Amino acid sequence: MPPQATEGPQTDGNTPSFFRIPPPIKQLFDRFPLTTYPANDLPERVPSGRADNQLFVFSDAASARRGRPSFNPQCLKWQAYLKFVGIDFEITPSNNHASPTGALPFLLPAFPTEAAVTIPSHKLQKWAIEQVHCEEEQQLNLRFDVYASLLDHRIRNAWLYMLYLDDANFKAVAQRLYVNPSTTSSLVRAALGFQLQQAARDELLKSSPYIDVAALEGDAGNAFEALSTLLAEDEHFFGRPNPGLFDAIVFSYTHLILDEGMGWKHNRLAQLLRQHKNLVQHRERLLRFF
Amino acid sequence: MVLQLHVWGPAFTLPSIEAQCLAAIAYCSVALPKGSWELVATSDPSVSPTGELPALQDGSTWVSRFRNIVDYLRQYSNGEWDLDRRLDETARADSIAFSSFVESRGQILIDLSLYVSSQNYYGNTSPAYGNLLQWPNQWILPPKLHGAAKTRTEHLGLSSLDLQAMEEQRQREHSAAVAAGRVPKNLIARPRDTVSKLLGRTAQHNHFRLEALTGEFFEPLEAMLGQKAYFLAAKEDDTPSSLDCIALGYLSLALVPELTFPWLRDAMRNKSPRLAAYTEHVRRRCFGQAPVEVAHAFSPESAPSSPLPWRTPSRISVAAVGSTLLDSLAESTPLLRRLRRYNGLKAGAQSPDADLSGLERNVVSQAADAGKNDLYASVAAVVGGVALLVGYMFHIGMISTVAAGQKEYEEEQEEEEDEEEGIVDAGTAADFLNMGGLGDLGIPGSS
Repeated sequence: MPPQATEGPQTDGNTPSFFRIPPPIKQLFDRFPLTTYPANDLPERVPSGRADNQLFVFSDAASARRGRPSFNPQCLKWQAYLKFVGIDFEITPSNNHASPTGALPFLLPAFPTEAAVTIPSHKLQKWAIEQVHCEEEQQLNLRFDVYASLLDHRIRNAWLYMLYLDDANFKAVAQRLYVNPSTTSSLVRAALGFQLQQAARDELLKSSPYIDVAALEGDAGNAFEALSTLLAEDEHFFGRPNPGLFDAIVFSYTHLILDEGMGWKHNRLAQLLRQHKNLVQHRERLLRFF
Repeated sequence: MVLQLHVWGPAFTLPSIEAQCLAAIAYCSVALPKGSWELVATSDPSVSPTGELPALQDGSTWVSRFRNIVDYLRQYSNGEWDLDRRLDETARADSIAFSSFVESRGQILIDLSLYVSSQNYYGNTSPAYGNLLQWPNQWILPPKLHGAAKTRTEHLGLSSLDLQAMEEQRQREHSAAVAAGRVPKNLIARPRDTVSKLLGRTAQHNHFRLEALTGEFFEPLEAMLGQKAYFLAAKEDDTPSSLDCIALGYLSLALVPELTFPWLRDAMRNKSPRLAAYTEHVRRRCFGQAPVEVAHAFSPESAPSSPLPWRTPSRISVAAVGSTLLDSLAESTPLLRRLRRYNGLKAGAQSPDADLSGLERNVVSQAADAGKNDLYASVAAVVGGVALLVGYMFHIGMISTVAAGQKEYEEEQEEEEDEEEGIVDAGTAADFLNMGGLGDLGIPGSS
């Protein structure tokens, strides 16, 4: 801001006693020059020659090595999508703090190697289309966005409630997967757990003044019914020969809801989902990719 | 028993200012026979036990939210008052998916248009609320709704529509410049931006974002509607379905209001002319030909013959005013808020309509009681500690010296800013340490 820059010296001239740095402090700071140190080296465990694209997701080390599905629906959605369109990548377990945008997943592409360009999740589809020239499915069917809103809102809200606000599930699942790996201090764990639950509560309270569990579950049940009708007898959604982005979104929730390894205590969503055989079979078909 | 539908009152020539309420009104006016229901412009969400409007009252039973109301009406009439009964499986799936789509995307656009766009909020929405709300609520409710709309749309990064947020951000930058010490505070000339200047600066950016948002919302709906009279109509003479009611709720709030900054209406007319014509058509079918005035809701005799069975809301009583004021006061007092939450939890658990087993009911009630006892214990501990401290001060004569030396103390007060520091001299520091120990011992005893 040029006007302020010209004002500064003038005011100094007018009132010297107040704005000039006192001599002792000036001397002190002359002895401590400000230096900028070079950036730290990357940790030893980082492979020096990156051969593959790296996808950073919520996962644990053992599952990541074997390329198992992530336990976070957002991450699993993109993990599944990249697998379905045939892009090779490695899974790196990570958390939100590691991401440039503050949210997982993000991808570190193999090319170009020298520039550390990361691709956040909302640009992953565009990147994948550039890489393998797959179709942008939203353009092909007007129902894509409409039915996706079922997953982004109704099923997601019921999921948030089941994972974070049902106390038994929170202790058995969310605490184990999200809170415990980040710290061993019980105090910090309690604080983190509280923050997570509060964030989920705030998210649900955005759309309605109070949380009505029966309504959330009813909405999720309706959503599964609509998805089941949309899939009908097809292998994949919208009658596509290969699974695509919509299949990945559906799979990211249906897999985690039906996965025995999650250790759910109360799983009302699974009861609702099992009423629709074709969605369960759809999830089993896609699980073979992993 | 006549069913009563409680809604937010009329505004912008529509029978309600809120989309879900409009949807519920449309559904009732199409599905229910005349004389079986009444429309009450309560405009006070606290009438319903869930604190939500629209709410349907059937004697002592309350049902809130559009979908619950639709379900309740179907059960109440044994499937007769059900607009969706003729839909086949595919149409039912479409109805569910499009309802979810309209609710989630439409709500965000309405929030941006009516609440977040500052000119519209202060020029149109806020005065409209002023007309339909009664005394204490007109000061309490609109800011709450405004805040809720802002949090719902935060993630879109369109807060530049909101002049107040822009002003706050500039002040932060301004104070950051001051804190950096480059320029003394009182020498910085406050830049005075006019509304048009602010909008001019961010207009292009906003324009692209809003273009994309409105396009994503209107295009699938326009394509779905096609040349049909209703979204899910299979034949010429079909009636509206529940999806048409939901769509009408959101689309009419986008199309009808006369706003200072009508970007949403312009986008709708440009991008989807058929959708705009459809909204007008369904609106006339559901809400009648004549525009709805606020006066119609409060004195139904004055209204021309309309398909909406208005019933005058009961005047707000002194007790209700008092309880509203107390409620908002108690909600903003930390201790009381917790106490009320525990009480509410217990009452909810023990009420017969709660869907809980006997064991769960006991557990929840016990948890609420335990929480309440904890709260009382901590209050008692603090009170006991303070009492002990004061008692000890009397005991060692500190307070009596103050009473005796009142004159001196008043003289000192001019020099000393902190009163207590003025009284206590350095010699009593050891006493204070002792007192702290006593206070600690006293807490468990007194609770």
